[in-house]
Amino acid sequence: MSRRRRVVMTGIGVICSLGVGREDVWRNAVAGRPGGAPITGIEIGDAPVTMACQAREFVVEDFVDRRLARRADRVTHLALAAAQLALADAHLRISDDGRDTGCILGTGTGGNRVRDENHQIMLERGLDRISPFAIPYSMCNHPPAEVAMQLKLRGPTMAMVTACAAGTDAIGTSTAVIRRGDADVMLAGGTEAMITPLWIAGFDAMRVLSHHRDDPTSALRPFDVSRDGFLIGEGASIVVLEELEHATARGATIICEVAGYGASADAYHITDPDPTGQSQARAMRAAIAEAGIAPSAIGYVNAHGGASRPGDPAEIAALRRVLGEDHAAQTAVSATKSMHGHCMGATGAVEGALTALAVAEGRIPPTINLTDLDPECTGVDHVVGTARDVRLEAALSTNNGLGGHNAAIVLVPWKGQ
Amino acid sequence: MSPRELRERVVITGIGLVSPLGIGRTETWAAALAGRSGAGPITQFDASDHAARIAFEVKGFDPLTYIDRRAARRMDRSSQLAVAAAALAIEDAGLVIPADAERYGAVISTGNGGNATYEAAHRTLLERGPDRISPVALPMIICNMAAGHVSIAYGLQGPLACVLTACASSLHALGEAADVIRRGAADVMLAGGSEAAVTPYAMAALDASRAMSHRNDDPAGASRPFDAQRDGFVLGEGGAILVLERIDLALARGATIIAELAGYGATSDAHHITEPDPKGSEQARAIRRALASGDIDPSTVDHVNAHATSTLVGDVSEVQGIITALGAAHAERVAVSATKSMHGHCLGATGALEASLAALAVADQTVPPTINLDNLDPACEGVDHVRTTRQQAIRTALCSGFGFGGHNAVLAFTKVGE
Repeated sequence: MSRRRRVVMTGIGVICSLGVGREDVWRNAVAGRPGGAPITGIEIGDAPVTMACQAREFVVEDFVDRRLARRADRVTHLALAAAQLALADAHLRISDDGRDTGCILGTGTGGNRVRDENHQIMLERGLDRISPFAIPYSMCNHPPAEVAMQLKLRGPTMAMVTACAAGTDAIGTSTAVIRRGDADVMLAGGTEAMITPLWIAGFDAMRVLSHHRDDPTSALRPFDVSRDGFLIGEGASIVVLEELEHATARGATIICEVAGYGASADAYHITDPDPTGQSQARAMRAAIAEAGIAPSAIGYVNAHGGASRPGDPAEIAALRRVLGEDHAAQTAVSATKSMHGHCMGATGAVEGALTALAVAEGRIPPTINLTDLDPECTGVDHVVGTARDVRLEAALSTNNGLGGHNAAIVLVPWKGQ
Repeated sequence: MSPRELRERVVITGIGLVSPLGIGRTETWAAALAGRSGAGPITQFDASDHAARIAFEVKGFDPLTYIDRRAARRMDRSSQLAVAAAALAIEDAGLVIPADAERYGAVISTGNGGNATYEAAHRTLLERGPDRISPVALPMIICNMAAGHVSIAYGLQGPLACVLTACASSLHALGEAADVIRRGAADVMLAGGSEAAVTPYAMAALDASRAMSHRNDDPAGASRPFDAQRDGFVLGEGGAILVLERIDLALARGATIIAELAGYGATSDAHHITEPDPKGSEQARAIRRALASGDIDPSTVDHVNAHATSTLVGDVSEVQGIITALGAAHAERVAVSATKSMHGHCLGATGALEASLAALAVADQTVPPTINLDNLDPACEGVDHVRTTRQQAIRTALCSGFGFGGHNAVLAFTKVGE
């Protein structure tokens, strides 16, 4: 292609423990509010961890018809709602045949409850009692497929399953789909509803969940010496990405440009990150290179910051490699997971949305609960406790997933050029 | 030859198959050309209470041939199949992966990830409690772990993903992996899929969606795409991974080029969660977009490896889609085969397995057959159904995949000139 097609973000639909919709979530993020709380309304039995970042204010019936509300999984409900919010925010009407619009959504595990319920039904009541929707409503592709069906999108649709990097990979790959001309508009993001007995037990067996003083509001402590893991977050975030001319032709309000995307693999270990941060650094460098900017243009990094013992230092090491020691020391870094929790396959999309708003508003949401910085996580300018106003030239959002996936996107403010 | 710049052209230089038709490209291809069926009664668990008791299982697969014992114990069968298929693909391509393989990546798909591990872990949770869950359970279940294991086993440090679109998954994987190369983010990609869903719950739940054949007394005759007596799909399993390379780099290292992955089209039906649009109009558009993306003249399409799962509605809509995309006159001359009749519906692996057979058809100028097609359903007329292996000129071969949820993907393979 002779001239590269440019991709801009024109709408944000986000639901997580910080609220429902862009305004709610942003207001709480810049206020530094914790999203953690005791788990309520979900049967979790004798789960070893009873706190999480639930999307407590999300009312399924506000967005989803009765039939789907009953039959489909919460992971799909959240996606349908986020898609509606994103379209409304973008003031976008889908074209009549929907052929220029697609959808890529990240997820870690798809429809957990539908699968668990049906598996239990099989074990307790027999093979012939399984629902005909057990498979289609539990597979990872159901959220994007249902979004496409409800909104009549006929462009490329798929699920992106790269564990905790999925939301970032979904935004990056959607950008590539638009650049190569396979769509003019993409609904991109992620969705996750993993607060279930099996995943709580599974994560806890891996010793990655926080038990911090059994206090949900202070349990998530990225970069802090006393960090001991994450809280599972629930939510969905979908952004509207558009080819630049498509957006300007309809007079859309542009939030930011998605300027670069990079991905890499650790090829190191299934659950532990590469401690040198070299492989994460490659994804970040690729994103910065695609954006055509110098690393010194990055003024803010929304870090993965999963509050894991080995993960946080590896990430800071990667940032120092990419930005250089001098610039890294001046680069604002925050881990908004401290507030919205680890939303797994949605987390990159929640953080991508917050990074876009930071770029657009010139305001950086903080890392909360960072009271005692781990000496192994120094070398960057941590934004602690309260939001900071800064004019940004470019920002980076980065995530890493179980299996060794690394993904990063570069967002730049829209100056009307 | 397409006018695309060399650095944007992607070729297949290796094929690794662990399929119900055999282990390795040679064995699988020979069985396909011989028109053999890989079906049989289920052996991996006691299926006597199941309504569907037959499957296309991979036979004689020993993971320890490819994976050391300790690593193999921490992998679900779906990951083991992927790692083995990747080993075979790398060997087939004569590929030497350097120590710092930053320009080598992978997109490996699946339908459902670690089914056997999930069923055991969830049963443990229900029967024995949360503290009995193994720390390796979760990583063995999630759908991206086959990709993770392939990356770790062969040191691939470039882009690494799992795209998931149900039964079309590994065609999207191949298409997106080719795009990773085209946009300059990698030089070599391992791409494909794996699936191991011959497990009690996965079988029963798939059957609950009312799409499976119950022809238990005739396993070899149960998967019968386009036949008037078809009654649903028969589950398969396997791993299918291809080596995709930038053509100039493949030529420079003296690689044998199997075929060019010249086009990719992806669309969505937005119609129904389990049934395709009966007119096949979005499937047709995926075909046209695949051809357009590679600047391929539709009149050069000589062969289609069809998705054709042997379901009542799906097979009909697919033929309609081919006719719509290529025109009735040309469609009549297109050699169509549904190799699922021989290897079954391998879900997340099926697209890459069929793409492999389509690429081999281009390389050998030979079309594998649809077996069990004894009485053509009149609603599936309009294309040239291949019932016995046939040698013929194939300029362009298409491979189609359609997934639950309305995901459509089509790849176009062309012969690379001498």
